[in-house]
Amino acid sequence: MNRHLWIAGILWVVFTALALAGAALMNPFPTVGAEEAEFSDHAFRMMTYMGAPVFGFVMAALLYSVLRFRSGGGGEDGPPIRGVGAVPRVWLLTTTTLAVVVMIYPGLTGLAELRSDRTHDLEVNVTGFRWAWVVQYPEGFASQELVLPVDQRVKFNVTAPAGDVLHSFWVPAFRLKIDAVPGQITNLYITPNELGDGATDAAYRVQCAELCGLYHARMQMPVRVVTAEEYEAWVAEKAGK
Amino acid sequence: MAILVGLVLAVVGFVTGTGILGGIRTSMGLEYWSTDMSWSVGYPVALIGWLIGVGGWKYWAVEWFGGKAATPPKGVKRYFEWNMDHKVIGIQYGVTFVVLFLLSGLTAMLIRFELMNSGMQLFTEDQYNSAMSFHGIGMVAVAVAIMLGAFGNYIVPLQIGARDMAFPRVNALSYWLVPPVAIMLIIALLIGGWDTGWTAYPPLSVLTKSGQVLFNLAVITFGLVSILGGINFIATIIYERAPGMTWGRLPIFVWGAFAGSLIAFFFTQGFAAGLLMILLDRVVGTSFFHAAEGGSPILYEHVFWFYSHPAVYVMVLPAFGAVLEVLAHMSRKPLYAYRWVVGALLGIVAISGVVWAHHMFTSGMEDYLHAPFLVLTEMISIPTGIIFLSAIGTIWAGRLWMRTPMLFALAFIFNFTVGGLTGIYLADVPTDIHLHDTYFVVAHFHYTIMGGEIFALFAALYYWFPKMTGRQFNETLGKIHFWIMFIGFQLVFIPMFQVGVKGMNRRVADYPEAYEDFNRFISWSGFLLGISFIFFAANMVLSWVRGERAVANPWGASTLEWQVSSPPPEHNFEGQPVIQGGAYEYGVPNAPAHARMGTAAVTEHV
Ligand code: HEM
Ligand SMILES: [Cu+2]
Ligand SMILES: [Cu+2]
Repeated sequence: MNRHLWIAGILWVVFTALALAGAALMNPFPTVGAEEAEFSDHAFRMMTYMGAPVFGFVMAALLYSVLRFRSGGGGEDGPPIRGVGAVPRVWLLTTTTLAVVVMIYPGLTGLAELRSDRTHDLEVNVTGFRWAWVVQYPEGFASQELVLPVDQRVKFNVTAPAGDVLHSFWVPAFRLKIDAVPGQITNLYITPNELGDGATDAAYRVQCAELCGLYHARMQMPVRVVTAEEYEAWVAEKAGK
Repeated sequence: MAILVGLVLAVVGFVTGTGILGGIRTSMGLEYWSTDMSWSVGYPVALIGWLIGVGGWKYWAVEWFGGKAATPPKGVKRYFEWNMDHKVIGIQYGVTFVVLFLLSGLTAMLIRFELMNSGMQLFTEDQYNSAMSFHGIGMVAVAVAIMLGAFGNYIVPLQIGARDMAFPRVNALSYWLVPPVAIMLIIALLIGGWDTGWTAYPPLSVLTKSGQVLFNLAVITFGLVSILGGINFIATIIYERAPGMTWGRLPIFVWGAFAGSLIAFFFTQGFAAGLLMILLDRVVGTSFFHAAEGGSPILYEHVFWFYSHPAVYVMVLPAFGAVLEVLAHMSRKPLYAYRWVVGALLGIVAISGVVWAHHMFTSGMEDYLHAPFLVLTEMISIPTGIIFLSAIGTIWAGRLWMRTPMLFALAFIFNFTVGGLTGIYLADVPTDIHLHDTYFVVAHFHYTIMGGEIFALFAALYYWFPKMTGRQFNETLGKIHFWIMFIGFQLVFIPMFQVGVKGMNRRVADYPEAYEDFNRFISWSGFLLGISFIFFAANMVLSWVRGERAVANPWGASTLEWQVSSPPPEHNFEGQPVIQGGAYEYGVPNAPAHARMGTAAVTEHV
């Protein structure tokens, strides 16, 4: 009995190590284009690290049992272990601790961080309607391309016309989304910190992420993050027209 | 025959209902026909015609008017009309939902064909949305009802030593409401489909095509199926247990069915109410969800998820029960931590009602709701962890008999681990705000619903097949089905996590070229997964028609359903069974047998 536990325990360590190594090496993410994206990817990685030992545990127990405890179904009974006493209690304590840890970090701490900074350098209004996006800049012009200056904190006021349907404003490179609700204004704060261009990178697109009917899939708008000078030139050109 | 009469009466009812409405409308100077309103009025009348026709009158309602109910026929014929035997109803549910499962699966194949390349190949955008929506609601219906409908009905009364369900008539009624659901969804496709998925979010569902009205009517009917079934299981399990069947001796599948039924009974109204409000907005002109007239679209999301999150536990709690049942009997060990599992099942029932808004972290609801729903959602992992403890504790050091049902039950543990762990990313607000409504979510819920519940369903199906049909299935075909399905499943849904994180959102008919490689791989894997069901279907048909005759207890299991013949006699037990010990006393020295059959000799066939 003890030998089984030892071998399965070693398997657990091996599987956990493999899962951790995999998680450390993997890069499943799209282009990182904003501070918020770094933050989200970090939380994603943390949860993967925390999940690795859990995954490793189940896999070790499962695989070891399947390989080691087979029978031909002769009707012989296994040992009558009932699972009363210390084991379930320790299990409950462990899983509860794990759950509480994940709740707090990266959960609640992350949430607090996400909401902490409500200042902004630039404010734009985004409207989603079936099936396109339009951005209103403070200089008074509208654009069907989202152009943002790098390293500036932007506040988005997102909405949809009162007679329209739900949409959702999402830029994969920024990792944030918020629904465009008819007759209501929702907000998002984003600080792009890398240059990027939707023409070459699919992560730089505003994509509607709430089913809105016929052309939902096509409800996109290119995103470009540019230097401050380029941005000013672009605004001047747009506002001049 | 009865089905034909039902269909004719349904058509008569529909024509009458829409005719009366048309008469009123014409007299008011309106057009005779209004698709939304005519269907809303014609359908309930048609439904009554259908129920009368399939036998609701002959076998039941006639008694209300002093008549005498007919006696049901024997043989194959009884499966095709109103019947109150829980064993007949179990098979009716099982076959109907397997057919709906294969149909919705076929739709998934078409979807994958469309998504194989960037750009449109097979469908228009509009057709894609309809196909996706049909696949979604079809599979949700299967997932909610097949476990309880087929195995709950057939097995629960046998396991608790009852002669039938508590309310056999209500049971027949709830089954016969199912075909109209499927028929309405198919008609909805034929008149142009609908494009709101299975979730029917307004304002889109208020503004879109008339197929939506049929969807709403169908799904409200389906809600009724679920509620009536729920009441019946609750009453049966409370009142119909054999002498000696204390709560602490109930087989775990019965506990799973009980917990799932509690949720179905308490929460389904929410969904039905939401859909009814959409109908009212469309047909009568109310403005529950019309922002322009003071309504709130977010209101619907709350109402909808208030049911639809618990609904995933209607799917999965009976599945937990079935898997643990198979694991214990096929490892020949007592179910590990039985009492803890019961506590966990009831704990999940309680928590499931207060986590719904985790589907709404990006909806624009009030910010202060985020933290509590994050915390409550992650609390669900605690009772779920106990289910894992029991599964692992049960197989540990057991005598694992690796037959087809056992393979599916073990695969459930693997799949649900992946599904459960990826759920944490979605409960965590900072990551969910990116992942919500992407293919990451699609992969997650397929791991829990398909990898979890549907794998459990196949474990249950193969496990109880000999009992229900009296025939043994073909083990080789069963194993081929398992391995192709298991491997195909991983190959389809693992890459979906990845492509979702990369930025592919869900419910899209088309996507940027950057995601093409992933999608091509997923589609080919999808076809592989699809092929596994050919082996399944072949096995079912061949084995049922000419499989070897099954013995009473092919698995040597201890619970009551295996102590009677396969299939069981008409009234389940010849004598009154008496329960004298736990359900899983494998290897316990001098343990009394779980059950003793009453005085009248009980058939031990073959
Ligand atoms: C045969 C293998 C299957 C494949 C290849 C498959 C594939 C898909 C795809 C591509 C979508 C569309 C995703 C989207 O754009 O949102 C989808 C949606 C969905 N599937 Fe499946 N699926 C399969 C089986 C199942 C099963 C067995 C279930 C449940 C029991 C299920 C339940 C759903 C649900 C609920 C949706 C969501 C529809 C909506 O968003 O309204 N699927 N599936
Ligand atoms: Cu959209
Ligand atoms: Cu949920």
